[in-house]
Amino acid sequence: MDKNLPSSFRDPSGFLFQRDGVLYRQVNNCYQRNYDHLMSSGFFENCTKAGMLVPHVEIPIANFPGKKDAYKIIRPDELTFISYPYEWSFSQLKDAALLTLELQKKALSYGLSLKDANAYNVQFHRGRAIFIDTLSFEVREKNTPWIAYHQFCKHFFAPLALMSLTDVSLGKLSQIWIDGIPLDVASKLLPRWSWFRWSIALHIHGHAKMQLKHGNIAKTGRPAKNDLHMTTRSLLGLLESLKSAITKFTWEPKGSEWGDYYSNTNYSDEAKSSKKTIIEDFIDNDIQPTSVWDLGANEGVFSRIASERKIFTIAFDIDPVAVERNYRQMRQSKEENLLPLLCDLSSPSPSLGWMCRERMSLPKRGPTHTAMALALIHHIVIGNNVPMSSFADFLCSLCKFLIIEFVPKSDSQVQRLLATREDIFPDYHLAGFEKAFTGYFTTRKKVKVQGSDRVIFLFKNKITLDDKISTRIY
Amino acid sequence: MFITLSVLFVPGKAWAYLDPGTGSMILQGLIAGLMGALFTIKIYWARIKNFFSRSKSGKEDDLKRDG
Repeated sequence: MDKNLPSSFRDPSGFLFQRDGVLYRQVNNCYQRNYDHLMSSGFFENCTKAGMLVPHVEIPIANFPGKKDAYKIIRPDELTFISYPYEWSFSQLKDAALLTLELQKKALSYGLSLKDANAYNVQFHRGRAIFIDTLSFEVREKNTPWIAYHQFCKHFFAPLALMSLTDVSLGKLSQIWIDGIPLDVASKLLPRWSWFRWSIALHIHGHAKMQLKHGNIAKTGRPAKNDLHMTTRSLLGLLESLKSAITKFTWEPKGSEWGDYYSNTNYSDEAKSSKKTIIEDFIDNDIQPTSVWDLGANEGVFSRIASERKIFTIAFDIDPVAVERNYRQMRQSKEENLLPLLCDLSSPSPSLGWMCRERMSLPKRGPTHTAMALALIHHIVIGNNVPMSSFADFLCSLCKFLIIEFVPKSDSQVQRLLATREDIFPDYHLAGFEKAFTGYFTTRKKVKVQGSDRVIFLFKNKITLDDKISTRIY
Repeated sequence: MFITLSVLFVPGKAWAYLDPGTGSMILQGLIAGLMGALFTIKIYWARIKNFFSRSKSGKEDDLKRDG
């Protein structure tokens, strides 16, 4: 029984579906001319070779009898994990924007154009941004404007301007407006001096005013065809203007609460080294994970123990500074098995969009084979007032194996959390921790970290979870 | 939810499902001349720079088709 993906329904050109756990894309008859041009012009080959567009193979349509309106069935390369723009750091969003512009520029030289430019067309795969919506390209009619310019500004230009000029946390606004930040809202949130940067004045402030002015076509009337004339050269100029402005948007990750975590703690070299050895031992000799979620990963120091062993690892952290630094390092070193993402574990990404199924919540995109929760428990239980057993319950839904570090009250980090508040945590101790967690997990190993009071546990989930991510509906 | 305004503006694009926004299309029409001019200046400036630095320019491909 074929299952259509709940995120793939708006575009009449085609849609994604799963059959027996494999992902396919149906290309509808109405898209035929565009698809043939995409493939025969050389554009598809050029972009897939460059790693910019997800490759696919065509599957004989005879294998899919009864598929209504189907011109072709294609099988795209599958991604290991789907992430969303509100989970990306500043540079991840910037790279996604620049990829979209580069593809649009290239498309023009092949007689094609992007008919949509939303951030969900881009994913991170093997350490780099890649475009996944093959059917977004259409044959460009001569002298027409770019249909996706407004969407590009809402999904990319506006959030990047806000993150760079106002506050980096405004990237989260894309979680509220899943079709991009409205330009009039972005215009009001940007500082007044942004009017003096002509690219922002044009692509956001002026653009917002034009949208408002012509919002009611009954009032303003249909525009004359000559008013919508846009040559390739003009379009290239527009793209160059967007690219130049986005390239100049910067944000330096510094000065956060957790930004300099390892240098500001009394974490000795001995303790750090001991912790590393323990985790390496668990991974190499006990569990050999097929995927790892490092929760509260900071800059990914311990995530890399897994990713350097070619295990696909996601490094989640609440701090935009940490995720940004992690991503920059990953990009510079060309690492392929690491994906840094923003995540507030006290309120992880919810299910969003049409029927609350279009964009999946974080737990729905799991479970993972192994989760790591290092130097995290005190933030959740003490910092967030979550009962220990509830934290165990949550982790139990995410992974088959758990590597977790218990951080006792004697540790300086816990003392820092308790410094200005009443200690209402009488059960926050090693025995209390073991009691709470062994309700959900069986203990495989328990090792003290040398040079500290911390203890690292290797747990196995008592419940059997299916961790075959490929069978999951996106 | 997405009105195909593209049907009104551009014949033969009935399957572009996205609402491009009237104001957005008009804005492009208004700035088309400026964008084209700026792009042309950029190309020629790059050529002048390359002429003096004697390195290859790879920008000619962009002007393959103008339409």
